[in-house]
Amino acid sequence: MKSETMKTVDSSSRHSSWRIWENPIFRRYCQSRLRFHGLGLALLISVLMAGFLFFMSRSLGTSRAHLSIVDGERSALIPLFIYQALILFVLGTAQVSGGMTAEADEGVIDYQRLIPMSPLSKVLGYLFGLPIREYLMFLITMPFTGWALWRGEVAAHVWIPLYAVFITTALTYHLTGLVTGTVVRNRRWAFLVSIGLVFCLYTVVPQMAKFGLVFFKYLTVTPVFQESLPGILPRSAGAIVATSQKLAPEVKFFDLALPEAVFTVFCQGGLILTFIVMLCRKWRRSESLLLNKVWATGFFGWVQILLLGNALPLIEPGNLFPSREISRLILDWSGWSPKASEGVAMSGIYGLATLLLLFTMTKIITPSAEIQIRGWRRARKQGESSLAILADAATAFGWVIVMALAGGGGWYLFTQALVESRWFPGHSVPLHVLGFFSVALLSGGLGFHAVLEANGGRTVGLVVILVGVLPLMIGSILSASSDRLIPAATWIFGISPASAPIYAATSLLSISELPVNLARSVPRAFYFWQGIHLIVAIYLIGRLRSARKLIASRAGR
Amino acid sequence: METTPAIDIRYLRVDYGNFVAVDDLTLQVPAGEVFGLVGPNGAGKTSTFRVLTTLMEPTYGEVILSGVDVLEDIEMARRIVGYMPDLAPVPSDLKVGEFLEFHAAAHGLGTRAQRRDRVAECLEEVALADQRDHWCKALSRGQTQRVVLAKTLLHRPSILILDEPASGLDPLARRDLRQALRKLAATGATVFVSSHILSELAEMCSSLCVMNRGRLLASGTAEEVRDQLGRNEKTLTVSLLTRHQDAAVWLKSQEAVHDLQVVGEQLVFGFTGNDDGQADLMEGLIRLGARMRAFEEKRSSFEEILVDVAETNRRA
Repeated sequence: MKSETMKTVDSSSRHSSWRIWENPIFRRYCQSRLRFHGLGLALLISVLMAGFLFFMSRSLGTSRAHLSIVDGERSALIPLFIYQALILFVLGTAQVSGGMTAEADEGVIDYQRLIPMSPLSKVLGYLFGLPIREYLMFLITMPFTGWALWRGEVAAHVWIPLYAVFITTALTYHLTGLVTGTVVRNRRWAFLVSIGLVFCLYTVVPQMAKFGLVFFKYLTVTPVFQESLPGILPRSAGAIVATSQKLAPEVKFFDLALPEAVFTVFCQGGLILTFIVMLCRKWRRSESLLLNKVWATGFFGWVQILLLGNALPLIEPGNLFPSREISRLILDWSGWSPKASEGVAMSGIYGLATLLLLFTMTKIITPSAEIQIRGWRRARKQGESSLAILADAATAFGWVIVMALAGGGGWYLFTQALVESRWFPGHSVPLHVLGFFSVALLSGGLGFHAVLEANGGRTVGLVVILVGVLPLMIGSILSASSDRLIPAATWIFGISPASAPIYAATSLLSISELPVNLARSVPRAFYFWQGIHLIVAIYLIGRLRSARKLIASRAGR
Repeated sequence: METTPAIDIRYLRVDYGNFVAVDDLTLQVPAGEVFGLVGPNGAGKTSTFRVLTTLMEPTYGEVILSGVDVLEDIEMARRIVGYMPDLAPVPSDLKVGEFLEFHAAAHGLGTRAQRRDRVAECLEEVALADQRDHWCKALSRGQTQRVVLAKTLLHRPSILILDEPASGLDPLARRDLRQALRKLAATGATVFVSSHILSELAEMCSSLCVMNRGRLLASGTAEEVRDQLGRNEKTLTVSLLTRHQDAAVWLKSQEAVHDLQVVGEQLVFGFTGNDDGQADLMEGLIRLGARMRAFEEKRSSFEEILVDVAETNRRA
């Protein structure tokens, strides 16, 4: 029997990750989510809604707006597209994150961990299996879209990129849901977080794009949708949009001019790859950190390159400035030039986004005490006297420094290109600003890292609330109460490391034009709190060293 | 020649923050045995099993399953282990047959027809062949346990790890489970099974070990475990027709006798000696001239021993 057992085990074939139709997890969800009753109702609702949108738009177009047949057919495309986005982006993402958490809730996820499939096969099985009903709901709306595209005479080069990006965007969101469902243990929270993220992508993120962080809008379908608008709108409206788009910025990445769809797929591709790596690591070992240190640092650098590559070419033509967008809307831009405050705000926001990304990456690669102990004990077992530098258990200290310096460099390059552009003649950004930017990111990032690695997530949560958020709240209340209290509020704002990038931009840039009551307090608060942050960070690093030594000695016992 | 143990646990330690769930556990389970792990709730049984099945990385220690280090070769370890977790969850959106066929496919068990046959075979083994088309969520507790046992058997693992498989089962189902485990052991598989009910394991296991608060207290056969736990004493009751007082005095003078009580014609006392000593005691009483009418020997039940051990440890 023993030999028979082993023979059976050895003969079990590996599942090819890419033959998704043979993937047992995919098939399992096809079975459970495509049962007649549930599927029938979902498809009925979907087809009714799509039919309603199609015929209603078409009728309104041809009968009420007296559009031609071709234009009438086209008028159904956008409502159908929005409905399809709702199905795949919202329902699909919710299903993925909720389904993943449900597996953990029921406890059956342990079975899936034990089945001998590669982590990638498991990820792909869930990625395509969990939202299978939503894919079918989407597909059943496609005949209406197909008809509208055909009779509306929409060119293939318009709709193919649009729907290609639609699918990559859906995959990005579904992977977000999968990561959320894997990391967040509570089903309701996983659902809310993933839907919240998708919601933010279409509400908050576009605002960041307006302030120079153009890259973020490529995480949505919006740029390609906007690019496709002239081709899918009724021809008269499409012509107007096409005219206005001639004035709009084209996608440039450093010196390359790329089609919107290609650049969007490029941006989303990096994110998709990173999500898949995260999930594979979690499937291989549930205790693993989401990313290894090299990948996390590389990802940080990649985002910096995308941010810069996107933003820098838009500075000279002025398209990066938010006020340019407004002037374009009111068609009055003959005498337009950016305000100095815009430049300062954009630099500050770039720094803030970099700091937040640094915190996120630091959180991902910083080992908990348990991971450190396990790592030390394994190292001792293997006769090693130290941890491998890339091991999960190794300190993230050096990597945080690398990211902070890279972030400081990116922030400096962005600010330099902005301030030394033709829009602010006579201004320059001296090299010492690079030092201040780096110190602002280093003190914040290393302080965060040192508390996280030495004291754990709960202490960090408390510190974030008390030091990061509370001063901003108190400062806001004070500054809202009276103008006289604004200088005091400035000092209180400065306690929070989150204010450092904004304060750095306002204090260090020659284009900065602070009002009189802030002209003295902001720079002083900046230098003072930077000094304090730096001292605290050094102290915390010292404590971290001791904490790590203690863990190493505990592990040796 | 020494054979490789099917399960070899060395210095295993599992910490949750500052709480030590498993503390320095070293244990070998020979191949082909039904080995029991018993301990009260919180003893560290589930943590030990989760490490064995690669679901959890230990804080420290080594676990070798049939020569495979679970920390170094997770994939291989997962192939040779079948795991049935505590409370044996089942997916609410699948039918019994679908659930099992999914796992058969995930383990790469041959063609679709072969998988169906294997599922039928396993359902037959757990006496649930008629439940194939029933929803998993509609099964009773005992049926659910058996479905998960069938899932665990699907890929014919050489090591079966069953966490509290008998919890929630009625006596009939427990008997069926015992029989199923014995059948499995007879086919050469190693079964490592946990329970907080010692008598239950004593009935179904060839060897067992006792854990409490993360530590291994004893291991071996049921008798050896009694010995190691120091709970091998008996309560003897001797009914005499004559010379009660003399017999009581004489018994008190014996080293292995304690807590003697005289209740009417009966002498009730604790005895810590072995079988030879017990025979000598009877002989001594007869030589004393006491006429013995009846003799009764009573040992502590496994449950009493476990409660006693747990209480002692808690006080410590």
